[in-house]
Amino acid sequence: MTETYAVELQDVVKQFGDVVAVNHVSLQIRDGEFFSLLGPSGCGKTTTLRMIAGFEMPTGGAIYIHGERQGYRPPNKRPINTVFQNYALFPHMTVAENIAFGMEMQRTPKDEVKRRVAEALAMVRLSNMANRKPKQLSGGQQQRIALARALVNRPKVLLLDEPLGALDLKLRKAMQIELKALQEEVGITFIYVTHDQEEALTMSDRIAVMNNGIVHQVDVPDRIYEHPADRFVADFIGETNFIPVKVVSLSPQIIVELASGEKIPAGWAEEGIAVGENAILSIRPEKMTLLEEKEVDGPPPADIARVRGAVRHLVYVGTDTRHTVALQDGTEIVVRLQNSYIDEEPWEIDESTIVEWNAAHARVLKE
Amino acid sequence: MDRLRRNPTFQAWALLAAPVIFLIVFFMLPLLIVFVYSFLERGEYGGVQWVFNLGNIQRVFDPLYFRTFLRSLYIAIVTTLITLALGYPLAYFIADSPPKRKGVLIFVLMIPFWTNFLIRTYAWLTLLRTHTGLINVTLMSWGVISKPLPLFGNDFAIILGLVYGWLPVMVLPIYAALDRLDHSLLEAARDLYASGFHTFWRVTWPLSLPGVVAGSMLVFIPSLGAFVTPAILGGGKSLMIGNIISNQFLGAHDWPFGSALSMLMMIAMLIATLIYFRWTTKTEAAS
Amino acid sequence: MTTPSSAGYNARRDRLRAKLGGWSLTTYGILAFAFLYLPILILVIFSFNDSRSVSKWAGFTIDWYFKMIKDGQIMLSVWNSLFLAIVSTAIATVLGTLAAMGLERYSFRGKTAVDAMFYLPVIIPDIAMAIMLLLFFNMSGIGFTPWKVNFFGVKLAVPYSVIIGHVAFNTSFVAIVVRARLAQMDRTLEEAAQDLYANAWQTFRRVTLPMLMPGIVGGALLAFTLSLDDFVITFFTSGAGFNTLPVRVFGMIKKGVTPKINAVSTLMLAVSLSLVILSILLRSRSGDEDAVQMGF
Repeated sequence: MTETYAVELQDVVKQFGDVVAVNHVSLQIRDGEFFSLLGPSGCGKTTTLRMIAGFEMPTGGAIYIHGERQGYRPPNKRPINTVFQNYALFPHMTVAENIAFGMEMQRTPKDEVKRRVAEALAMVRLSNMANRKPKQLSGGQQQRIALARALVNRPKVLLLDEPLGALDLKLRKAMQIELKALQEEVGITFIYVTHDQEEALTMSDRIAVMNNGIVHQVDVPDRIYEHPADRFVADFIGETNFIPVKVVSLSPQIIVELASGEKIPAGWAEEGIAVGENAILSIRPEKMTLLEEKEVDGPPPADIARVRGAVRHLVYVGTDTRHTVALQDGTEIVVRLQNSYIDEEPWEIDESTIVEWNAAHARVLKE
Repeated sequence: MDRLRRNPTFQAWALLAAPVIFLIVFFMLPLLIVFVYSFLERGEYGGVQWVFNLGNIQRVFDPLYFRTFLRSLYIAIVTTLITLALGYPLAYFIADSPPKRKGVLIFVLMIPFWTNFLIRTYAWLTLLRTHTGLINVTLMSWGVISKPLPLFGNDFAIILGLVYGWLPVMVLPIYAALDRLDHSLLEAARDLYASGFHTFWRVTWPLSLPGVVAGSMLVFIPSLGAFVTPAILGGGKSLMIGNIISNQFLGAHDWPFGSALSMLMMIAMLIATLIYFRWTTKTEAAS
Repeated sequence: MTTPSSAGYNARRDRLRAKLGGWSLTTYGILAFAFLYLPILILVIFSFNDSRSVSKWAGFTIDWYFKMIKDGQIMLSVWNSLFLAIVSTAIATVLGTLAAMGLERYSFRGKTAVDAMFYLPVIIPDIAMAIMLLLFFNMSGIGFTPWKVNFFGVKLAVPYSVIIGHVAFNTSFVAIVVRARLAQMDRTLEEAAQDLYANAWQTFRRVTLPMLMPGIVGGALLAFTLSLDDFVITFFTSGAGFNTLPVRVFGMIKKGVTPKINAVSTLMLAVSLSLVILSILLRSRSGDEDAVQMGF
């Protein structure tokens, strides 16, 4: 039995002249899901969204919406609505006229249009703004009208192109929560384009991380953070240390060797890595801890990695302190230690130390 | 059919067909006719004989006519320079005004421009005429002068009429350039020890240059092709190339020669326009 | 050390300079506007002169306006001007808007050439365009055949050649104005309409056209003004016996200067002024502040 997805992309390619904006992308987005396309600007996420909406036609591959192949179907014939980055509210129409527009085009009976416009306005709590022109509203209000204008059509899928990008930080945070709550309430599939990782991690059910037209990883937020599939994802999401290593063994246990000769275990290796090859070890700063020489006795357990280094630099950032540690081969890594105790004695500059972490947090990735 | 309707090139030409056909028939074709006529012989009673000759082209360079062309060029250049000298400070004055007053001043500046050119020229006729013009009549009645000043029927009158007519067109682009100018640049210059003059000369002027060049083009081209101004203020004595051309059609009935003269005028303008575009693309590429 | 020091600093001199700079600029501004308006003002004043002179004041009268109204030739030329302006504006607005949409929204082979063709009528001096058209109409056999029409009870005979001539230069002006508006317009608005189930025609009718309207109206008003103002092209393409108001005024000037010409001129000034004000009002209502600034 094959599942019918809300939106499915099969091997979609989009070329603009010689430039490949989207490179063989396949995605399956489930019904009712909050799905984010995350990546730096120019990574192809907006182009992907515009192809789903029908503003751009794929150069290759196919797009299905609820099992139906879209082909050359124009945007006005797709059961999908978009919230545009700059909202694209019609400046010559009132708020109510803007919201009614889509239903008018679908020849919805007049009294139903009226009722649903009122409902939509109530949903975004702007009922008193019905007769204003978009220019008379604040940025946050315009954003909510754009949302209402799209949702009032009860689309099967709602596309959002960096809808919070134009808002200031505080409003953006508030709108993130509001958007997520709204999505859960209406139960419509949201496809959300953003370059803001925090936004994607907070709101999404699943995230597709894109770069240079390629999807690097599709997963739930915590797996994207904890189990990045490759170097790009590890680097793009959050903060990560990269340590150059050589692969010593892959089974039964993954063992890598640092330039200093220290051999340590790791939890996971990217597919296609072979023994004897150079690779990088990726480990997040908060997964590590610093030990004094005297705290260590004997070799570590099999699932614990320890390497020697010296503290080079401390930056106090409130909740924790960032320790820059130079390893023996010269690689500098960052270790974040929580400031849990008020009287804890701080590390001194150039004090030698042992960095320790659980091998499960360390991932061997291709260079 | 659906595929065709979605084809952008098809859509473009569906929109463009009517206007493009109209302009080809009623503009490009006439232009071609003027070009072809330049190489034909005049007919006996106006019209042309379909005989190829280069006589008209040679005659264009006959000193009798070519001197008028050079004088027209001279008048157009002097007009442009004077308009620039008068227009720049005016544009600066408007750009320097409080924001609310700017719009009003631009509006007040443009009103004369939107009133009929012929009438504005006529207004100067009533002021400049040698014996009955307001200026000479008034000055003589006050006893300031004993015989009328030569204000009319000469290059002075024509240049004055042209400067008056095209001043707003010079001011507008310069104003636009000055208004766009980031004020902090001027403050930065002052901060870096530039005097008022140096701030202007090293920052304001170079940054307003696109406006200056655009305004100069907008004044130079119609001045070179002037017809009404010399016809009215030249008093029948001082003529420009536009009047010579019109005479070939209205008086002398020498269409081929008139065509050749218009070709000369249009080529001069084409050269000016090309220089202008070269300049703008070069400065745009540089910035 | 070359840093400016306070030694030898003359505060009074600097203050004087700052003030003088401001005053001289303002004085210049006032003088420049006087230069622009005085000739027109004097022209209007002498249209009320109780004498045939336009330079010696001899008392107030509105006789010249009565003479103007009673002059059948002048009144006929007024109707000719109006009819010509209305017809040529209507055609040029449609053609110019089509051209603007085709040129602004699409790229295709040969676009540069088409672009250039639409700018040429604006750049070319009217005398060159006038004789081009004169030769064309002579040669093509269209000639100067008049369109005989009853315009609000006045029988007019307007040569097709003149109408075509006016459309030829007005189309380009309309195209430029509409194109500027189109270039400013946010294209995602049209995408939003499509996204909200509007087909191509509905998108045009409900979003593009209303957004474009200030540009179209502005272009039409510009065309109307240019058509009313035109002398050179009308003069050369009309053949004998057809007069618009400017052509009539030119003929009168050639015969001799009287305050009657001043009266006609004042009438034309009033019409131009109302058209400019009308366009400003229309534009400011549509919130197009840049256009108000530019004065058209």
